Formats: sequence, structure tokens, C-alpha cells
Amino acid sequence: MKTFILANRVLKQLKGDKRLLMLSIIAPLIIIYFLKLLFDAFPPNVPITNFTIPIGALVVHFLSFLLCAILLVQERTKGTLERMLIGGYNRSSIIAGYTLGYLGLATIQASAVLIESVWLFDLNYSANVLMLLFLVIWLLAVVSVMLGIFVSTFARHEGHVFPFIPLLILPSIFLSGLLINTDALPQWAAFIGKCLPLHYAVNIIHEIIQPTFSLSETYFDFAILGSYIFILWLFASFSLRETE
Amino acid sequence: MNHAVEINNLTKNYNQIQALKSITLSVPVGAIYGLIGPNGAGKTTLIKALVGSIKPSSGYINILGLNPLTDKWALRRKIGYMPQSASLYEDLTAKENILFFGKAQKVENIKQKTDEVLHFVELSERANDLVRNFSGGMKKRVSLCCALIHQPKILFLDEPTAAIDPHLKLQSWNLFRKLANSGVTLFISTHLMDEALLCDKVTILMNGEIIAVDTPQKLIERGKTVITYKDGGAIKTSTIPSTPEGLANELLKLGLKPTITEVSTKPDTIENIVLNIIGIKQNLKSNT
Repeated sequence: MKTFILANRVLKQLKGDKRLLMLSIIAPLIIIYFLKLLFDAFPPNVPITNFTIPIGALVVHFLSFLLCAILLVQERTKGTLERMLIGGYNRSSIIAGYTLGYLGLATIQASAVLIESVWLFDLNYSANVLMLLFLVIWLLAVVSVMLGIFVSTFARHEGHVFPFIPLLILPSIFLSGLLINTDALPQWAAFIGKCLPLHYAVNIIHEIIQPTFSLSETYFDFAILGSYIFILWLFASFSLRETE
Repeated sequence: MNHAVEINNLTKNYNQIQALKSITLSVPVGAIYGLIGPNGAGKTTLIKALVGSIKPSSGYINILGLNPLTDKWALRRKIGYMPQSASLYEDLTAKENILFFGKAQKVENIKQKTDEVLHFVELSERANDLVRNFSGGMKKRVSLCCALIHQPKILFLDEPTAAIDPHLKLQSWNLFRKLANSGVTLFISTHLMDEALLCDKVTILMNGEIIAVDTPQKLIERGKTVITYKDGGAIKTSTIPSTPEGLANELLKLGLKPTITEVSTKPDTIENIVLNIIGIKQNLKSNT
């Protein structure tokens, strides 16, 4: 019950902060448009479809992580987090409520990115494939929200979130298989790449955008993404301290 | 139960810094208990320890028969906490903020109770306005509503009147007195020394240490009163302790002298008295 009260509050807050809401929806759309401009300049033999949706997923991953981490740090600095904890909300209801609330925004972001990518890049995917693509991006957004909650516990103010971007997000661009297959990387770099959640989302996307794909090939990666959600939820629950 | 709050030998250390040093005090039920001290005295740390937000290094806390750390869920229904900063959601209305904190406590007839607390702090007309458009004083009143919505037995207010105008300060203290009269115990921290007079009992905190515990009347008696009088044309002064007996004796003595034509008294302000107590304590420390 408290989870829904909190999720409702998060949604109301997002609705109230129209500037943040518009930016978090418009920013990924602009980035996808820039991606279109970049890919249009590529030679025609480059398989751009292999990159389009994974990069869209990365944008949602990055923005969901950043927004959630910063807004939760703001709760800490403004004292509302402490007030929630003393006022009867427990750690798990805060994490679940936040996740649920931000998933509303992540759902809009994932849908917007997917629709724009399909339209701009003229991608011809079946309804089943589109549903699966949406599910992957959405699951990745859940991971990002959990990651944001976890990281926020190490930050005393908003500025402390930014060092986590080169630590967690930038390696995803280079090592997760987004640009090149992780097997082509040195062993240690491939290991880091396989520790990043984007790697499994990219694997699933690459599999399901094949003209003929086997859903069973994606089960393992889906399971890993699910495990990330569970593990990060555990980490976030333990790291969100009720007392100092 | 005679005491709403009992603290025994409470200590809080942050690495090498001792933020609270062997704090022992008790708060009578239904009293307005003032925690007075300059900035950095340890007032917020003490309040946070009482509401279970920080874990003490050692010592014992009992609030309404409960321990803030081990009985936190039972206790949170009985206490209200108003932090130093407003700690509100600026993108929500006053009513939405109060409802959000009230729902966590499963308050029955919550909409009616929200209207009541808003009426109590005289903010009914601004109930549906966004908090971001409120003045500092109004935010403090909404914050008080959030602490009051579940009708707690004890309220912990951390500097509730800091940075608000004198009129609003008076209004706030009238609200606190109304609450105390209805049986609520109030534990209020402030760095404004004159507010000591508005409490039933006062603890003066300095560098994490209690340096005085007294009623406001007894604190005043620790001060001095300067008596100025005209004796046969010459203006003379005498300084006596501010006790009622001392003052009565001195005035009687002066009244019996036929040469005295005018008498005026100027007692120490509570601010001076508190500052003197703090000063004396500091001098004692530097001498040892």
C-alpha cells in the first residue's frame, strides 16, 4: 500500500515538474535524431540497424539512472528521505515506490525512443519483435532505476552522482557489445563488459532483430537482466540506511 | 508515566568528534521542553537520536516506554518530527504533502484531519497551492502539519521558529502552547535564547554537553537586576540577584528611606543570562 502511495507521489511530482518531464522525454528523442543524422553520413554497407535500437536502449538506461539517482539524492539533501523514514515509510516501500513511479516515466521514454527509431530509420519489425524490444528497454530501465537508487546512497549531494557516469555508464558504451562484439576485446575488458547490464540487453536486441530469431536464445540474457534487478534491489535495500 | 522522554548518559561520536557528551535528562508529559544552545551545540544531533534517525554511540533513550531503535515502528506512530529545514515536496500542494505523510501512518478520516491541521495553522485558504510558492514561515507551518497529522503524543521540533518574522514566531508559540494544553509533549530546539521563557523547562546545551537544566523562572533568578534610584538628587545604582525575595527586600529598603524619590529596575534579559551561563562554563573549561 505504502509503495503505491509513494509511487503516486513520485508521479505527481514528475507531473508538477514540467521542465524535468519534458526534458527527460524530449532529450532522448533529440539524441535519436542526431543518431539518424550521423548514420545517414555512414557508407551504405554499415549495418546501422544493429546499432539503432541498442543505442536507444543506452539513452533510456543513462537517463533513467541519472534522473533517479539525482532525484533520490535531492530527497536526502532536502531532508524528505529522513522524514519519510521517520514518518512511517520503510526502506522496501521507498525502493519499490520509487521504482514503480519512475517506471511510469521509463515506459514513456522507452515507447518514445522505440517509436521514433522505427519511424526515422524505417525499421520494418513485426508487432512481436516490437513488443520484445519494448520489454528489453523497459527491463533495462528498471535496472537503471535500481542502479540509480543504489548509487544515490553514496552521494551526499547531486554532484556526487556525476563521477558514477564514467564509472558505470561510459564503459557500457565501449565494452558492453554495443559497438563491437565483446569477444573481440581483450579478455579482461570482455569480462568487464559482461558485468554490465547493457551487454545482456544488447544481446537480446541483436538476437530478436534477426529476420529469423529463436526466443529460447534470449532466455539466458533475460534471466541475467532479471537477476540484475533482484541483486540491485537487494543492494539498494541494504545500502539505504535508516539510521546514521 | 511521569516522563515522556528519558535520556541517560547518551553519547554520540563522529570519529574523533564527540557530538553529544553523557546527556541525561527527562521530559515531563505534556510539557514544552526547550533545548537551547548556539549553533553547533548538538541540538539537532540529540533530536535525531531521539527520533531514531541516528544511532547513539552509547547511552539509553526511552520515549513513551519505547526505544527509538528497537521499537521504531511502534514509536513512529506516537511521535511527530519537524526537521530544521522544511523538508517538503515543493512540486506538491500543501494538502498533498500532508496527505502523503499522513497516509504512511494510516490516519483515519485523513481528508478531514488534513483540513483540521491546516485550519489549526491558519493555512486553509492555501491548502491547494504549490509549496514552492510559499514563504519560509508558511512552509514551516505546512511542515508542522505533516508532523501533526497522525496526532502524535510527542512532537520533536528542530528550530521551528528559526528564520521567521517575530509576528509569526509568536503565532507559532501560541500554537505550541495550544498543543501542550491538549496533552501533547513538545521537545523544541532553538538557538533563540528569548524563547526559553516560553518553555516549561529548559536545557542549555553547549558543545554537546548539558550546562544547565532549569525552569525559565529559575533561569531568570540566576541573573542580576540593576536598580537605579535618585537619593537626595544624586543618581545611584545597586545590583542584586533577580530573585523575588532579593528584589522585594531591596525595594522595601529603598522605600523606607525618605530621601529616595525615584526608583527603576532593569533585570538581566534571558539572553544575557543564558550567554552568561555559557560564558561561565567556557571560562571554567579554559581555566582547567
